Amino acid sequence: MSDIATYSGRRSLRNRFGYEERSAIFFLAPVMAVLMSVAVFPILYSLYLSFFQIKLTRPNRTPFVWFQNYTDLFTNELFWTSVRRTVVFSIVSVVAIAMIALLVSLLLNQNFRGRRVLSTILLVPWAIPYVANALMWKWIYDSGYGALNGLLYQLGFIEDYVIWLGDQDKTLLLIANAFVWKEVPLATILLLVTLKSIPADLYQAARVDGASVWQRFVHITLPSMKPGFMLVMIYETMMAIRHFDLFFILTEGGPGHASHVLSWHIYVETFRNLSFGSGAAMSYVLALVTFALSYLFIRTLGRKV
Amino acid sequence: MSETRTDSAQTAAAGIDYRRRQRLSRLAQKLVIFLCSVVLAFYVLAPISWLVSSAFQTEAEIVSVPPHWIPENPTVKNFTAIFGATEDEEITYETRSGVDPAAGGFIPSTAKDLPKAMWNSILVATLVVILNLLVGVPAAYAIAKIRYWGRNGSVYFILTTRVIPDIALVVPFFLVIRKLGLLDTISSLVITYLAVTVPFTVFILMQYFEGLPDELDKAARVDGCSRFQALIRVFLPLSMPSIVAVVLFTFLTSWNEFLLALMFTQTSASQTLPILLAAFTSDFTVSFSFLNAAGVLAIVPPVIVAIIFERYIVSGLTAGAVKG
Repeated sequence: MSDIATYSGRRSLRNRFGYEERSAIFFLAPVMAVLMSVAVFPILYSLYLSFFQIKLTRPNRTPFVWFQNYTDLFTNELFWTSVRRTVVFSIVSVVAIAMIALLVSLLLNQNFRGRRVLSTILLVPWAIPYVANALMWKWIYDSGYGALNGLLYQLGFIEDYVIWLGDQDKTLLLIANAFVWKEVPLATILLLVTLKSIPADLYQAARVDGASVWQRFVHITLPSMKPGFMLVMIYETMMAIRHFDLFFILTEGGPGHASHVLSWHIYVETFRNLSFGSGAAMSYVLALVTFALSYLFIRTLGRKV
Repeated sequence: MSETRTDSAQTAAAGIDYRRRQRLSRLAQKLVIFLCSVVLAFYVLAPISWLVSSAFQTEAEIVSVPPHWIPENPTVKNFTAIFGATEDEEITYETRSGVDPAAGGFIPSTAKDLPKAMWNSILVATLVVILNLLVGVPAAYAIAKIRYWGRNGSVYFILTTRVIPDIALVVPFFLVIRKLGLLDTISSLVITYLAVTVPFTVFILMQYFEGLPDELDKAARVDGCSRFQALIRVFLPLSMPSIVAVVLFTFLTSWNEFLLALMFTQTSASQTLPILLAAFTSDFTVSFSFLNAAGVLAIVPPVIVAIIFERYIVSGLTAGAVKG
């Protein structure tokens, strides 16, 4: 990317709109038009909306309230609950995803028979819809006839069937488990790329120096995987803090407010309380957090390229 | 002399010992790999197998405690209820044969909407794929091969649009779409799905075009091709792998999308498969065996695609996410 910068830097101002620019505009116009109308415009419109008090129940009264939708958030107990739930959910999920993906990628980096079959199987959770994933886990966790109860019962770990999703302490973790199951494949693929990019001479040199398997892992593999890890952590954090589908189908924010995460809170505020102004304000907060994360994301990537 | 002989005997013994140890450690390594593979395969496949297994169980069987892991009397009733229903013969609580209403086993009257929802999903996904290629291919070509002023800027712009969370777009989209009178139409979905697919499309294609030599572009231009002809005749045929990857991702993203469809669809005219599935799950009277059958229908197409095109998907994911 640096060569592009120096190239365009050399061009004088007079030349800035030459032949190249004109043909580029021809090719870029459609994509710019699309992104302007479905990404830039909505995000700006959303900022505008967040300064109004818009209740669909009172469509003719939409006063301009400046930052009140934002300042109200500081005193909104439920909003902060949802932020806490989102943080817990994201941390648990991302750490679990990174650790499982590390183990799986180390396994798939070995040469053994059946490796290709295994990596194809691994794509399955990535490919299926989140709604189907949610339905599947809802059925597994089912208190009456679910597989989790059945398995634990048959193995003798539990005496009676447990209402898993009804337990406030476990709900968030159970949903995180469903999320992790679906996200591990992508994280594994990303880590595998970094693993494959480690030069083999490094390992050979270490072996000559008498480093054990464990020493080679700690001193070569782990440090070389740092960029891959950063990528996985940031990307999965972005996915986790905005996640909605599982919460909608598995618990609807319950029991109590045990799984009342930010995205669910935004949904309830907007489409159940029909308060579009404050809904827009909250989703703007979420968007800003994501932008901050993505800045890190792009910087990490930029260093790699 | 005798000393040297014992010496060499010792080294020989040590050599045998060393070789045996090496063989043992290789065996141990193989065993560890095998065990890990089994654990991984179980972790991935067990939940899905359970879903599939219970989709083929009868109502009486699915409520057994402890559960039957493999159906004893497999049945395809759930699937015939979905595909066999006609307008005049609705399959409902009352008309479903052989089931005691008191024992549950409710197949919702909306079961017959499932094929329609699948069709909607396919239609939306196909249109989104076509639009993505139409706007994405030229843009990726321009970014990769034309040295114009502001190239870095356009790359960062597209990167930024890629990370906008979908939930932040829901409120403005809803108001605009309502104003345009597009609520509950296929087109509302096609338009809004562009926001979540186009940036990724441009990214993957751009990566691929950048990997093709600049000389191709120059040679085509010297031979009298316009830029557009160079793209169509030279680059497009060469970039099929990335086009395949883009088609797959876009199709799967649209097929799987839930949040936007939840906001903009209301009736079977535009409801996609995930929406109908979600509606079934929130209805407590719907039998789980029926629910799982619907779930199986939703996962079969993406799973087939993933298995057939594994190579393209993995290379596309790594290009789009890692180098991006």
